Amino acid sequence: MNCDAETAARIGAVWLRAAIAPASDFGRRAEDAARPFTAGDDTAARERCAQIVRLAAQLEPDGVAHVRTALRRAPDPADTVSRARVGDPLADVDFFEIGRFADALEATARAWDAAGGLTAGRPPVVSEIGSLLGGGRQDGKFYLADAFSEPLAAARRSYAAADTDVEEHRRRLAQALAAQLGPLPDSPEFILMRDAQPQLPAGVRVVRETPAYRLVTLELDAPSIEAVARRDAALGAVGYEEDLVRRDLAIGIARCGADLLAAAEALGELDRTLARVAFKQRWGGCIPDAGAGRFAFADASHVPLRAALEAERLPYTPISLDLPGTAVLTGPNMGGKSAALATCGFLAACFAYGVPPPARWAALPLLDRVVWIGGEQAADRVRLLSAFGGEVVRTRDALAPPAGPALFLVDEFARTTGPREGRALLVALVEALARRRAFALVATHFDGVARSAGVPHFTIAGLGPRSLDSHAAGDIHAALDAVAQAMDYRILAADGEAYSHSDALALAGLLGLDAAIVERAAELYAQSATGPPEALTE
Amino acid sequence: MDALLDAALAGETRTIVVVGTAKNVGKTVAFNALRALAARRGLVGAITSIGRDGEAADALDGAEKPRVRVEAGTLVALPRELVPRTPALEIVDIGEASALGRIVFARARYGATCEIGGPPTARAVRATIDRLAELTTGPVFVDGAIDRIAPLAGGRREAIVLATGAASGANVAAVAEIARSTVARLTLPGRDPQHERGRVVTIAGALDARVAQDLLASVSGTTVVVTDPTRIAIRGRLFDALLAAVDLRCERPLHVVACTSSSVGPGRALDPRELVRAVAAATRLPTFDVVAGLAA
Repeated sequence: MNCDAETAARIGAVWLRAAIAPASDFGRRAEDAARPFTAGDDTAARERCAQIVRLAAQLEPDGVAHVRTALRRAPDPADTVSRARVGDPLADVDFFEIGRFADALEATARAWDAAGGLTAGRPPVVSEIGSLLGGGRQDGKFYLADAFSEPLAAARRSYAAADTDVEEHRRRLAQALAAQLGPLPDSPEFILMRDAQPQLPAGVRVVRETPAYRLVTLELDAPSIEAVARRDAALGAVGYEEDLVRRDLAIGIARCGADLLAAAEALGELDRTLARVAFKQRWGGCIPDAGAGRFAFADASHVPLRAALEAERLPYTPISLDLPGTAVLTGPNMGGKSAALATCGFLAACFAYGVPPPARWAALPLLDRVVWIGGEQAADRVRLLSAFGGEVVRTRDALAPPAGPALFLVDEFARTTGPREGRALLVALVEALARRRAFALVATHFDGVARSAGVPHFTIAGLGPRSLDSHAAGDIHAALDAVAQAMDYRILAADGEAYSHSDALALAGLLGLDAAIVERAAELYAQSATGPPEALTE
Repeated sequence: MDALLDAALAGETRTIVVVGTAKNVGKTVAFNALRALAARRGLVGAITSIGRDGEAADALDGAEKPRVRVEAGTLVALPRELVPRTPALEIVDIGEASALGRIVFARARYGATCEIGGPPTARAVRATIDRLAELTTGPVFVDGAIDRIAPLAGGRREAIVLATGAASGANVAAVAEIARSTVARLTLPGRDPQHERGRVVTIAGALDARVAQDLLASVSGTTVVVTDPTRIAIRGRLFDALLAAVDLRCERPLHVVACTSSSVGPGRALDPRELVRAVAAATRLPTFDVVAGLAA
């Protein structure tokens, strides 16, 4: 499913991608490589949703969280395996990470079992890693231990002895000097003041001279220099043996490479799946019915909005709609027209990404495109386009591609131009969309658009006969609470089309506009209004 | 010199952060000396750096720099690219990202000399130091950078040791004045509601020269609060003037405990005894020359 960045943001697809982001690097790689389902993939998409629904019922949510935590901690083995396969030297951190990956495989498998997962879907383990790295692993740490190689152990013993020998020589030299100078400072270089030590004592080497002092360091004698040379040689031998062990371990990892990469791929796919399962367990979701010719849903949520409202402890009302093709949506300000459009797009995105759409029931098509038209966009300002100009250009571009399965979400098109011409343009656009047999939901405050274009008309139920709490006037938070309490967000089929109510006067008063202005507007409105809305039916 | 370690580890301090007033003022020398003092007491702890340190030559000017010797048993946090191959370190954990790869927590089984480096962001610095403190029971030594210690503000667990030296000034008086000004800035007191003046002005970002001029012109006599001392971007007389004109405080103070002085700088050598006394007098903090074995 293609949609531009603005559409993705408006419908909540960006939010959705973040919500179903896998926990691990290899999971994210798998997600990035996966192609969304598009027109023609209906069976596969429904099977994917069915799998997610089945797992969400089968697995404990806490267990899913534990598995995802284990996946998040798992390093990605791909880079290390690739380097091992071409013979590049590996570092101890690489072995540490491969060990951690193997741990993660086992932890994931255990968590899968604890969560009630079936054996068929059990994540793989690569047990060879345990025996390969076991000599250096303890409590999750890794050390290139002596247990890997007797020559390494012997080289380290030699090095330790040589290092001790150097330290003894250094101590001997320092003690000899301290007998002349007293306790030496805690630094390899130290200062001798000229007034206290006019003559340079034996056993020191001058690093730097100033009129007031000499900066000196211990001068090594021949036995000390020989000891340092022996230690350097011993350290070289340790380095040689350590690299031999690393080479052998790298060969072992290259040998297990195919299994490690396959395990990473399997875990990546599991990670993708569990991200969707967690989403379904948190927000609900259904397996869409075959939706040929239908874009319909019952009790659906636009989850980004629902999550935001729940965070504020505000209620969210799921909505239902049966969109036969192109239709017009009218209703009050703040009644949820834009949210209804976004919900349609969000459900389409969910299905495309293999996520059970968050609805009690849905019949959805797979789409090639979702297009949002309406509202000024950042790019418009850069291009010096007005809000109307931007809408026109976007509409031109949206209608240009050949007609594939697409969903057009049109939000108050032409609201910023003259109302007569704007309405005429909108009617013509709706007619064009209907002729393309596109799925389109067109939200507007213009009257009579659906009737003029000959398409179905829906309306938000709105405030209706409910009264708003007048005591809340002027307090924006109380006003919004009052609107949320009083507003009926249901989408109803409008029986006829003479009038689209906006509840604008009531809302203006509630939001604190000067009462005199609202009263005067009410007088003017009463003189011009053609009558109450026609009867509505669900 | 034991008094330097005593000053740094007094109270509930677990972490000692050495920062310098300028480059080549003996910061790493002081850092190594503190660790040597701790080692002599049998305190094996952890080390890391804010920024890149321990390299043989300065990455900017190519000047020779002291290396960091990691003794057996020491835990070190360093970027992946800087983990030495020989002798091998025990890899304990992996943490935050840095320009040289993720930060690796490793323990030396044998003594090793290496470069150390640290994470680039404030959050990662805090996380790295906290993780080191979890992994060791000993002190945590941080080779710091004066402009990157904001995440250490607000607590008493991190002690700051300020390294000063001949590299920062042409003569003893100049070095001492820079030390005084720096300590005055870093030891900005925390908020004290009982002693705040009638009006409190909170500076959300950096207190730079423009903000300082505005404050001097408009809010003299009030309490001015910055987030932490590192947000003060003014120096010298302008800072002194502001300090005299307003009650300057911070939300999260730093815990500065001592200074070190290095009499040797690039192309310059000062009298070590004069310098250590002058810095101590100017900063009113215990001051040590770890190379000359002097204290004041």
